[in-house]
Amino acid sequence: MTGLVLRRIISRHSYLFALLLLVVAVLVNLRLQDNLLEVNVISRNFRNFLPLIVLVVGQSVVIIGGGIDLSAGAIVTLGNAILATLITSESSSGQILLAILLTCGAGVLAGVVNGLCVAYLRLQPIVTTYATSFIFTGVALLILPRPGGDMAAAVRSLYRSTPGGAPFTLWMVFTLIAIWLVVRSTRYGQFLFATGGKSESAYFTGIPVNFVKFSTYLWSGLFAALAALALTVNTGTGSPRSGDLLTLNSVVAVVLGGTRLSGGQGGVIGSILGVVILGLIANIISFASVDSWAQTLVSALIIIFALIGPGLVRLARKAVAR
Amino acid sequence: MAISLSARHITKRYGGVLALSDGNLEVRSGEVVALMGANGSGKSTLSKIITGVVAPNQGQLLIDGDETRFTHPRMARALGITAVYQELSLIPDMTVAENIWLRHEPRFLGFSLNPFEMRARTSALLALFKGAVSAALEPGTQVKSLSPGERQIVEILKALSTNPRLIILDEATASLDNQQVGKLFELVKAWKADGMAVVIVSHRMDEILRIADRASVLRNGKTVYDEQLANTDEHTLISQMVGETVVQELKTLGSSKEPTERAIRLEMQDVAARTLRGISLTLRDGELLGLGGLQGQGQTDLLLAIFGALPHTGVIQIEGQPVNFRHPSDAMQHAVAFVPGDRGTEGLLLSRSILDNFLLPSWRRFGFPLRMDEARTVAKHTAKDLSVVMAELDAPVSSLSGGNAQKVVIGKWLMREPKLLLLNDPTKGVDVGAKGEFYALLNRLRAAGTAILFYSSDDEELLSLCDRVLVLHDGRQAAELHGEALTRAHLVAASMGTEG
Repeated sequence: MTGLVLRRIISRHSYLFALLLLVVAVLVNLRLQDNLLEVNVISRNFRNFLPLIVLVVGQSVVIIGGGIDLSAGAIVTLGNAILATLITSESSSGQILLAILLTCGAGVLAGVVNGLCVAYLRLQPIVTTYATSFIFTGVALLILPRPGGDMAAAVRSLYRSTPGGAPFTLWMVFTLIAIWLVVRSTRYGQFLFATGGKSESAYFTGIPVNFVKFSTYLWSGLFAALAALALTVNTGTGSPRSGDLLTLNSVVAVVLGGTRLSGGQGGVIGSILGVVILGLIANIISFASVDSWAQTLVSALIIIFALIGPGLVRLARKAVAR
Repeated sequence: MAISLSARHITKRYGGVLALSDGNLEVRSGEVVALMGANGSGKSTLSKIITGVVAPNQGQLLIDGDETRFTHPRMARALGITAVYQELSLIPDMTVAENIWLRHEPRFLGFSLNPFEMRARTSALLALFKGAVSAALEPGTQVKSLSPGERQIVEILKALSTNPRLIILDEATASLDNQQVGKLFELVKAWKADGMAVVIVSHRMDEILRIADRASVLRNGKTVYDEQLANTDEHTLISQMVGETVVQELKTLGSSKEPTERAIRLEMQDVAARTLRGISLTLRDGELLGLGGLQGQGQTDLLLAIFGALPHTGVIQIEGQPVNFRHPSDAMQHAVAFVPGDRGTEGLLLSRSILDNFLLPSWRRFGFPLRMDEARTVAKHTAKDLSVVMAELDAPVSSLSGGNAQKVVIGKWLMREPKLLLLNDPTKGVDVGAKGEFYALLNRLRAAGTAILFYSSDDEELLSLCDRVLVLHDGRQAAELHGEALTRAHLVAASMGTEG
């Protein structure tokens, strides 16, 4: 009976393996860098993690709904270009707000394009979003042909602040988790999981499957725009290559967090843990003084190991059962 | 709660096929009506029209005396009409409670889900089946971990959670065990007392006799009989389902010679797999053994088990040697071929050329590097043999008509010269002309000594082609019919699980 309860907990809370991995990553990291858990180090780490954390919220929603968004990074680049062009150190707070709203609008618009193609024109999500990513990067290049930018100091200091003793960025993470938990407990959340889980059955239950799929890309576009905001504020500059690596990292983080790529299962909390794990792996490699030529290789090997982890657990259990 | 439904002279055409030519059904509060009929008589079509899944071409649907037209299942549900289908509408990764309340979840203030109420109301629903389900069936259990019977129960409760006035149980008992069926029937009696109207579509005669008040019989898309069960009996019902159809003899086309002196190709002892619960049979070279019965009684699983695509228990022998195929490629090495029923998903690579499809199982024959010219010649020969109507061998398979595509599915296996051919409802959706050619092909293969195991959902086909028909019911052998006993009446009776 306890075995059954345990199995149920594991299958409902798909991020348990990610949690285990996180503990290991923290312990290893702590040996190499003993001030890891001090507030200013946490603060610095999360300033770097936050853009990807915001991005994976949207990516998780798309993947749970049975799709994938390979244009997420390109939408970040687009948002980064808009923000870096519109916000300067002379901008008033009204202008800054307008720039942020414009960026969000652009993100949502990009999501609408993806959503229309995938949900209503029934195009393959992988190919479609890969193709649209070039459109979004192209527009970004049009807006900001070469790197540059002059971020307003007030915004940067807000991003670096520690209200209530905890870093601002950590508060943002908690806000994202809270939003997810609310969404998860609405009818929309049920529809999302049903659509990704088995869309024919969802359709026969009367769920507007196409609309749900469409909406996931809309969320992904919006969160990509917000990720662009975090990225731009953190780096203080704009670059037409800023989002390049983010797309694949967001997919890897979602999978590390225990969400199944075929949809209908998983959650945002796991994906956020996935981002933190990826960040810590990068930390460990830079502190372990791995030769620079081997860094990419080692980090890729660690990630592959982390990805096959849950499968290994299952294999071990089968072997024991036999 | 009170409801009366009256479907009158309903017609439904799918393309050129008339599925229903004069369907009628009357049902009112406090009544249990059994909708009966053989394979393809239009039962499912009629029940789908009543629940708004399918729109009729002609005819009247009166609900509470008012004429109604449903354009969407939601409209029927709004009037309190719902159905429990066998094709499950459940999401495997979601819990029992989430599935039951999907789309009408109890909520706080119309916004956030109310998990407590959802749980409590699910528990109340599950209590209806208390004693007949395992302790693991709880509101929080994921549907994918349930047994087929328990899933069916969740499906029933999902329909019940919408507080219907009329419920259609379409083969809802097929995956339930005796105890669960007993519970369901207790419930049906309670619903009846509460004034609900119930329509049962079932292939189990004993169940119909046990629970229904009235039976309505469809034959070839027409309602031919409607009578209180008190005034009729099993034999009358079966003869109404069968009708007076005279089976035409096609068997003369093939060798009607008794093949008993031929070698035994396939022998199975007590083989069980998934829905199959223990089948023994013997098949000789040159014999055409039919598998009959209603759909989903284990026929497909039987074929898959032989082909190594489904793990099984029991003994399978080929040419007297016990075999245990773990993969279709093992079976192929023993000259076994399998022609799947669903061309689009299992039998063909739709976007590839006819040539590629023909050669897929046979490339090994043409060496390394591949002798393309030889392969093309052989494929061309096979296509000609089967008289496939096509533009050229390099055209995509998707450009072929249904009958011609089916020829490619069979042809690709014939190129391997199989000794044992497994056919899984191969003529479904194939036009009459192509069927005739296909039958002639089967007879040629038999004459050449190929042993054929042939599942068909078309009773006429079994009666006209086979020497012997094994009727499956609930994964077991209900009857073995041959010679004099191979008649439509016996076939239908055995399909229904009676001795009729």
